[in-house]
Amino acid sequence: MQIQGLIDRAVSEVGKVLLGKEPQIRLALCCLFARGHLLIEDLPGMGKTTLSHALADVLGLSYTRVQFTSDLLPADILGVSVYNRNDASFSFHPGPIFTQLLLADEINRATPRTQSALLEAMAEGQVTIEGETRALPEPFFVIATQNPIHQSGTYPLPESQLDRFLMRLELGYPHPRAEREMFRRKTLHGPGNQRLSRCISADQLAQIREAVAAVHASDSLLDYLQRLVAHTRESPEFEVGLSPRGALALLDSARTWAVMNSRGHVVPEDLQMVLPAVVAHRLVPSGDYAGDGMALVAQMQRNVDVIKP
Amino acid sequence: MKAVQQVPRNALAWLLVSMFALLAPHAQRVPVWVLAVYAACAVWRLQVYRGRWSFPGRPVKFGLILVACAGIWLSYGSLLGLEPTVALLLTAFALKLLELARRQDAYVLLFLAYFICITEFLFTQDLLIVLYAVVNVLLVTTALVALHQSGRQRFDWSSLRHAAVMLAQAFPLMIVLFFLFPRIGPLWTVPIKTQAAKTGVSDFMRPGDISRLSQSGEVAFRVQFEGEIPPASELYWRGLVFSRLRDGTWSSLDYYDLPPGERRPGPVATRGEPLDYSVIMMPTRQNWLYSLRYAESAQGGVMQAPDFRLFRPVEIEDQYRYRARSWPAAPLEPELSAWRRATELRLPQHGNPETRALARRLREESGSDADYIERVLAMFREQPFVYTLQPPLLGEQAMDEFLFQTRRGFCEHYAHAFTLMMRAAGVPARVVAGYQGGEINPVNRTVIVHQFDAHAWAEVWLAGEGWRRVDPTAAVSPDRIEQGLEQALAGEGSFLADSPLSAVRYRSIDWVNWLRLRYDALTYRWQSWVVGFDSDRQMDFLQRWLGQLSARTFLAVLFGGFALVLVPVALSLLRHRGRVPRDPLDRLYLALCDRLAARGLARRRGEAPGEFADRVAVALPAVGDTVRRATGLYTAQRYGPPTTQEDSRRARRALRLALRQLARRGKYRE
Repeated sequence: MQIQGLIDRAVSEVGKVLLGKEPQIRLALCCLFARGHLLIEDLPGMGKTTLSHALADVLGLSYTRVQFTSDLLPADILGVSVYNRNDASFSFHPGPIFTQLLLADEINRATPRTQSALLEAMAEGQVTIEGETRALPEPFFVIATQNPIHQSGTYPLPESQLDRFLMRLELGYPHPRAEREMFRRKTLHGPGNQRLSRCISADQLAQIREAVAAVHASDSLLDYLQRLVAHTRESPEFEVGLSPRGALALLDSARTWAVMNSRGHVVPEDLQMVLPAVVAHRLVPSGDYAGDGMALVAQMQRNVDVIKP
Repeated sequence: MKAVQQVPRNALAWLLVSMFALLAPHAQRVPVWVLAVYAACAVWRLQVYRGRWSFPGRPVKFGLILVACAGIWLSYGSLLGLEPTVALLLTAFALKLLELARRQDAYVLLFLAYFICITEFLFTQDLLIVLYAVVNVLLVTTALVALHQSGRQRFDWSSLRHAAVMLAQAFPLMIVLFFLFPRIGPLWTVPIKTQAAKTGVSDFMRPGDISRLSQSGEVAFRVQFEGEIPPASELYWRGLVFSRLRDGTWSSLDYYDLPPGERRPGPVATRGEPLDYSVIMMPTRQNWLYSLRYAESAQGGVMQAPDFRLFRPVEIEDQYRYRARSWPAAPLEPELSAWRRATELRLPQHGNPETRALARRLREESGSDADYIERVLAMFREQPFVYTLQPPLLGEQAMDEFLFQTRRGFCEHYAHAFTLMMRAAGVPARVVAGYQGGEINPVNRTVIVHQFDAHAWAEVWLAGEGWRRVDPTAAVSPDRIEQGLEQALAGEGSFLADSPLSAVRYRSIDWVNWLRLRYDALTYRWQSWVVGFDSDRQMDFLQRWLGQLSARTFLAVLFGGFALVLVPVALSLLRHRGRVPRDPLDRLYLALCDRLAARGLARRRGEAPGEFADRVAVALPAVGDTVRRATGLYTAQRYGPPTTQEDSRRARRALRLALRQLARRGKYRE
């Protein structure tokens, strides 16, 4: 259908610079269509920045990149009021956050104080500086990247903060064939960023979001969703179960995924497709559970019956 | 009125259906206007339901009751008796429909319905009627179930299923009660059936009586022999002995016609091998029972008449089962009392002079009584006598006309003429009426005796020998005795000519005959085990299984039996407690999953239907498309936007098709 064609084009466009990562690209698009913020967690040099850059290009959004460091202050992101000596007044100099797509690179290298300034803006879609509330542009997305926590010099995001990201993605090493293709292209075109063409207009984005709102989620599907959620709250492997916000996030993402596959209703497969990205970073395994969040998701998907038992 | 008290539409529909179903078996029995009352009441109630008409007021209802009673009285001539009361009950049942406004009215109506269901058994206890009664109970129970499903605005089949499940659960209880419930004698007497005709052989015989009986293909009784079945030519079922001839009619002697000394049978020297058998008689509303020559019965309630036949002081209104033992070779009354001799020789003063003259002449020519009998039989054999179901009408001197002019007759003509000739020649003789022969059912070795086997023959007393059976019909038509009536009349085409629908008529068609005999065997079993399970048999049965019976063991067994049935039901209810009943669509889909699991393709718990279908399609390409299509329709139902009933049906059909395909292919599994 129309929406699917649009999305296929966007995916292949992003795929030009990020080879062999179609599932992640689709999930990232899904996250943005669902008005969610995206956390990409991986080692340096895996294409995190490339992905966010490409997404901004494809969606035709204004784009700012902020490299988070340990000495970055909230004002460096939000902006400051500067005293203007000529007319004896303060004028506001907006920070890099006043953009449609903000790439917060290596967010876990900043201090918790700076992190929370950003996260509050993400949650409310507005910033308050010196008592004055200023709206952020529409749409407003944050793509944050994060190094795995065990690297030195990082302040890991607390669970409450992680919950604000709709999805967390891991890119992983590319497939050898994709990597080979990448080597070949870089030698042909030389170094430098390739500019991608815009595939989705603002109108079309609004259209997609309308379609998402109209997607039907049947009782049987909601039953399945509730069983999944209940499982995280009841099983001993989970320290913390899924919050209602997490459950809603799961449903929203599944709805968007259904639209991206040109379906007017959600099927269990939609839920299962978005489940690891949406849920893994919100789950905390209990002390005596050996696996991590991804293992928990797999366990949950295995144990919860799709059809009412 | 609160919604809770209303009668739901579904319940009303089921109630109306069960009302007409209950009426159906009575339809033949009640006057036509009762049927009209049913139709009118149903229409009235439906109009009330649609809001067009209103319920009748008190005066109208009162008037209707009076009119109904008057109608019954006019139709039957009485309000008492079985048929009028049942008809009155049925009419009241229909009229009650006009008072059906609240739920408690419906209760009254439904409990009445159960009662009406029972009334059918007062008339017949046939196996088919019992099956029909089960259907009726199911319908009434369905209405009762529907009554408690408020909010159902459509006619709903699910109530039927619900009721069927409940009755199935009650079935084992029924079995327990059947065996254990005490058979209490009637606490009050049910008024006898005033309208039912007496059937079978009657206690007098005029020419034409038995040939009329021979038009019926109904079963008179069934016999089960304990040993070998004697040949058909020996099966003379004695029912009545006619010793008195008056105005051309043979009749039997009443108890009070006998002098006190003659009211008990004399001693009989039993001789030879006895035959043991049990008989199940269809109701006749007569007293006499049928047995082979010289029968005794140890059963209470069966008595012996001085002319060596069995009878029951109470009329046989229901199927009656009795056991008897016969000694066919036992000599009967080798010494004849003076009174008996005079009785068995008595003839009217006048009438049939030619016959009497012939008798006297033939006796004079004969050397002995036995020789005389042979001469008379030879006359029947040698002269052109014809055995027919359509004898000509006879006038005043009936036997003279028969013997010398028409020479066409049925068994009663021959028996009459023969006995008359015996008596005229001074040989004691009498007519015996009953049945001769019978059909052996190869399925269960019972002998089925039909009404058309009715027969009359003679008994002659010979000095030193006692009573000897002589069948003049055998001399005229040996086929009748050896092969039965149908063969004897083969040329005439008159066998059951007036009963075109009788199954017996079509016994030459193999499968009809097979079905008929199977059903008859089933009926026999039904009658001997279920209908005939009276208090004697019950005690017998219980003592055989439980030993000496005391009130305590009886109660223990009764409650134990109940527990045995109810505990599993209760446990299964407890186990399923709180479990939401599954949607039929889910059930079908899970059945499909089960069947695939049996083929080694189990759906993983977290596997979505679509994903699973793809896996199936790879593993089992033969059914892949069907499974995929069914799964597609199933998921559309489960997860898609709301659909119509038709779509849901289509999904169920697709799932069933997939189930069938899998079952079929399962047979050719490699």
